[in-house]
Amino acid sequence: MIAFVMVLGWATHSRGTTFKDALGREVTLNGEPSRIVSLAPSITEILYFLGLGERVVGVTQFSYYPPEAALKPKVGSYIELNVEKIISLFPDLVIGTVDGNKPGVVDLLNQAGIQVFIVNPRNVKQAIETVGIIGQVCGVSKKAGLLTSRLNRRVTRILEEIRTKERPLVFLQINLRPIMTVNKNTIHHDLIRLAGGRNMTQDEPITYPRISMEAVIRERPEVIIISSMERGGRFEKARQEWLKWRSIPAVKNNRVHLIDSDLIDRPSPRIIDGLEAMARIIHPGLIMD
Amino acid sequence: MTDDMSSKMNRSIKRPLTFARVRGISSVMFFLLLLTMIISLVLGTAEVSFKQIINIFSGTIPMDDPARLVILKIRLPRIILAGLVGFSLSMGGVVFQAILRNPLADPFILGVSSGSAFGAVLGIFLGFSFNLGVPVLSFGGGLLTICLVMYLGSKKMGVESSTILLTGVIINAFFTSIIMFFISTTADDRLHTMLFWLYGDLSQSRYGQLAIIAPVVFIASIFLYSFARDMNLITAGEETALQLGVDVERAKKVCLLIVSLVMGLVVSFSGLIGFVGLIVPHLGRMSFGSDHRLLIPVASLGGAIFLIIADTLARTVVSPSELPVGVITAFMGAPFFIYLLKTKGSQWSRS
Repeated sequence: MIAFVMVLGWATHSRGTTFKDALGREVTLNGEPSRIVSLAPSITEILYFLGLGERVVGVTQFSYYPPEAALKPKVGSYIELNVEKIISLFPDLVIGTVDGNKPGVVDLLNQAGIQVFIVNPRNVKQAIETVGIIGQVCGVSKKAGLLTSRLNRRVTRILEEIRTKERPLVFLQINLRPIMTVNKNTIHHDLIRLAGGRNMTQDEPITYPRISMEAVIRERPEVIIISSMERGGRFEKARQEWLKWRSIPAVKNNRVHLIDSDLIDRPSPRIIDGLEAMARIIHPGLIMD
Repeated sequence: MTDDMSSKMNRSIKRPLTFARVRGISSVMFFLLLLTMIISLVLGTAEVSFKQIINIFSGTIPMDDPARLVILKIRLPRIILAGLVGFSLSMGGVVFQAILRNPLADPFILGVSSGSAFGAVLGIFLGFSFNLGVPVLSFGGGLLTICLVMYLGSKKMGVESSTILLTGVIINAFFTSIIMFFISTTADDRLHTMLFWLYGDLSQSRYGQLAIIAPVVFIASIFLYSFARDMNLITAGEETALQLGVDVERAKKVCLLIVSLVMGLVVSFSGLIGFVGLIVPHLGRMSFGSDHRLLIPVASLGGAIFLIIADTLARTVVSPSELPVGVITAFMGAPFFIYLLKTKGSQWSRS
């Protein structure tokens, strides 16, 4: 009897589960984390998506989706994290990304005894996988599995629809002045590709190149998508600017569109919404429910 | 007059400066300017041949032909703006170097640039348009700085050079720190816009803007040229100039004010483009001497040519991408200037 209790005691002590994060680091957690700090808006979205909103105790500056997340304590911005603030919230898990978050921060938090789990979704597929990974780490694998298969189904449906269609030349504008776009090392490029388009600037050496108006006129894209952080306003003006250049097929055929940048910038569940929006722009008449 | 000064003046009076000489050299410079403009029209991302350009200007090409739109709506206004800005920056440099008797002066040294930059960055931050809001705020910022500098710098001894220079330096530092604050706290696309503006951006030139800038620059240049003789004397020494009948205080104040106003206007449309106002006046001096009756037209036209070349490089070197023109002016200016310094010396005559 005593031996049994002792064995039970020993088993309880080693209940910690070890996970490997995107950097190959081993992160050990004792039970489900209940005080989670998110170091990126996309991670905040994923946590709420998985129904773990109540467990979130700290977020970064631009985590305003869902709206409830904006009410959580701020631990700094994506680029400048306030390590003291993070430590003062006594988290049992901090989730961060490879971009933005400085490596020194991870070391400091580890020294303070805080477990940091890093994710690194670089395309749409990995963004969905990240939902599953975070779900697993936080102890809600089953729910995560259901949600990710739903997301995957939405992607597959689009891929089937666009499979036989021709790919129009797409120009994605992510900044108004100077005109900036994306090359193939971006999640935006992945979206264009999955949505059945061809990225006009995919082979540019710089990731977010500044490009001249003349270049767009020369390349003659069939669709122009302007990514905006706001409805109307300056970006509507950007669309009006394009309408002057009728030699561009996209302008002549009235295919200059705005898209909400939140839906395509962040590797969060909403990126599937962004994919669907983009597919509808690139291939109008697509049947999706 | 000291021996040193008279010998220096003798050296440069090898060929007396006649109006014909001024007119001759200026015409050559003007011709070079036109040549530069034509070559720049041909160069760019979208391929347009010289023959097409002739056809465009002779009107034999339809209205919505893409080449015509590229030449007339993108390249030509941009080249004209580069010319006007280069002209103003260089002219401002000549005047400031003369009035402040300082070879390191450029038209931004009194803080107009940082005040304008502050206004522009604020405008970008608030989301104002580049057709109205940003230039207005930028010019307002420049105006504010001019007033501050004039007021603070002329309190005790009139427009005393070192006081006004120091005031400009402090004001520069102050506004720069505010700009850095904006830059460090803006994380979205406005940040790129701010940085692009701060390095000089001629890509959004419109004929409406040119219609405002060109007459102002033209009138200002006539005004400033009328002070050319006075500038010659002020450079030789303020006391000497006073003795020779120059109203030094008035000349300084008027010239500084006109240049600063022109700078404020120009910068509000082009952003900050450095080096032109510092280097081109010296290049002019090294080539044609320090007589301002020749130096002003030569350096101003030289500045126009310089900036048009720099801007053409900025939009062709990494085509289809673009570099900020301020980067090119630094790259072009610094090595060439060092070479000239080594071979000729600064030609800065001091008394």
